[in-house]
Amino acid sequence: MSETAVTTPVSVSKGRSLWSDAVKRLLAGRAAVISAIVILIYVLVTLFIYAAEFGSSRFGWGIPLTNYNEKVGSEYEPPSWKHPFGTDYKGRSVLRKTFYGARTSITVAFLASLISIAIGVPVGAMAGYFRGFVDEIVVWLYTTLSSIPYILLILAFALVLKDRSISLPWPGAPTFRLAGIASVYLAMGLTSWVGLCRLIRGETIKHRDREYILAARSYGCGRARIIFKHLLPNVFHLVIINFSLQFVGFIQAEVILSFLGLGEKDKPSWGAMIDDARLTLTRGFWWEMAAATLAIFVISLALNVFGDRLRDALDPKLRTE
Amino acid sequence: MTAATNDIILSVRGLATHFRTHGGTVRAVQGVSFDIRRGRTFALVGESGCGKSVTALSIMRLIPTPPGTIAAGRIELHGRDLLKVNDAQMRSVRGNEIAMIFQEPMTSLNPVFTIGDQIVEAIMLHQKKSRRHAWVEAEKLLARVGIPDPGQRVREYPHQMSGGMRQRVMIAMAISCKPSLLIADEPTTALDVTTQAQILDLLDDLQQVEGMSILLITHDLGVVAERADDVAVMYASKIAETGATEALLAQPLHPYTQGLLRSLPRMGVAADRLAVIPGSVPDPREFPSGCKFHPRCPIGCDDPRCSSLEPELRQVSEGRQVSCWYSPGFETPEESQDFDRRYGRDKRKSPSA
Repeated sequence: MSETAVTTPVSVSKGRSLWSDAVKRLLAGRAAVISAIVILIYVLVTLFIYAAEFGSSRFGWGIPLTNYNEKVGSEYEPPSWKHPFGTDYKGRSVLRKTFYGARTSITVAFLASLISIAIGVPVGAMAGYFRGFVDEIVVWLYTTLSSIPYILLILAFALVLKDRSISLPWPGAPTFRLAGIASVYLAMGLTSWVGLCRLIRGETIKHRDREYILAARSYGCGRARIIFKHLLPNVFHLVIINFSLQFVGFIQAEVILSFLGLGEKDKPSWGAMIDDARLTLTRGFWWEMAAATLAIFVISLALNVFGDRLRDALDPKLRTE
Repeated sequence: MTAATNDIILSVRGLATHFRTHGGTVRAVQGVSFDIRRGRTFALVGESGCGKSVTALSIMRLIPTPPGTIAAGRIELHGRDLLKVNDAQMRSVRGNEIAMIFQEPMTSLNPVFTIGDQIVEAIMLHQKKSRRHAWVEAEKLLARVGIPDPGQRVREYPHQMSGGMRQRVMIAMAISCKPSLLIADEPTTALDVTTQAQILDLLDDLQQVEGMSILLITHDLGVVAERADDVAVMYASKIAETGATEALLAQPLHPYTQGLLRSLPRMGVAADRLAVIPGSVPDPREFPSGCKFHPRCPIGCDDPRCSSLEPELRQVSEGRQVSCWYSPGFETPEESQDFDRRYGRDKRKSPSA
């Protein structure tokens, strides 16, 4: 965990860090390992699709999986060996769409998490460390935000941000067009930092009066160093736990937004698949709905189980032996 | 004091530290003054809550603000008033010129960093050294404070070490920049007896070699008798008496010090119960009027003068300062007459030791 131990010339066995202990504890449980593998598969599928997209646009690779728009059979073919998840109303492979949906969901959830961490962690840490005026402003801000129903807030953000161009406030800065999923992950990231911020603030308040912080100040550390070097590593387990549990929420929110027609329009997503499939469900064409739902169910379950195990492994009460 | 002025490392004058709480302002330290001489150990003794730790934190300017403020006084390190320097200058004083070790070695090291990381940080904050050099220095420091196998230990985490070891690490960090003053806030309270002696021996040894001064904060008079050159006894936010350790312990002038010494167990003296000082430490939000010790004082409890007029800290003999009306040589002849007129001679007991 420490880069110094790696860069030093002498080769002596490393001390056992709390993180390496936690990883060991985590990997000792079968449920945690299985769910980690499931999550890894989803991530690999996402990465594979990105690589394939890049390859086909750049070098003209023809990887069938990325070619989700191809008509592979007649409309509404039930699952068969040739089309394991059947085909949709345009005769496209539901399997390919499902895989592609993973890319959309994982990307959105990952970027939304990053945004929410980038806002929530420093804001929470500063509110908790400085208290007083800073704290009051931050608390006011997040109690206001959290008093608005979450889905409405996301909808409002997504609608406002949809297809908008954003130019950064300095001269010559590039202009971004918020096409497709950009408005979705921005909306989710900008509204979801509240929970994390609250957690980090509370934990920082707990840690700021610990003696090691006083000791660090007593040998001359400044405020920024105290917050970012000494406090944050001690509350960082919360960020990781929160990341894994919030990820599920983001995936589900993306599905809801896509279902409502606010998400990805041009490329497949699980929400859009459910939207497509819901009208034909009564006619017995269940496979598209089933594929999307199953994909959501499996990743949600894996993330939840993994998040719980992670919380157990990183629990501060278990960390001291 | 007999010591020449240039021999004085740290001079505290009229220090007052207050805390604003919901129950009112707590005057945790009031008018505390003392000098610490070069290469000597100055002990600050007192019960919990008497203000000794707050005094130490005030010197470092580490009082949590709000609610705390240093309301008055001067803290002069080599003649420079630390209460007047800016934050950046103060940061370069901390760790570099004044270092501090704390009571709880179990919690005063950051659990997520290795021992080496933390010593290296302390070194690199104040010295222009490459990381690699600082790392080598850290190993040397660990060896210096008597940690076996420093090359291995430097890579370990605090939770892999015992309390005594961690206190040694804290000391290694504290001496890493060769400070002129080391503040040791109850450095042995949390340790078992044998470890206590080792840690104090280590501090003694380092003081001999490095020539640093030590401000030793403790409630253990035994430790004071063995280790301190000078001592100040604090009671309820003020210094009750101060002087050279030997003289003060041999002939305590303040009834509080006398009570403390009486309450110590003695070798070879059979006693069913130890002597106690009646009453308890006053609530810092509502200190008694007059002398703060008078409600518990065996001499002054009935004296209207003690309950109405607070004695200040006065020099009564060479190197001895005390704040008690009954201390020999304390009151001036004018005060004596004035008191006789106001309270009547018959109401006052004769001064006793």
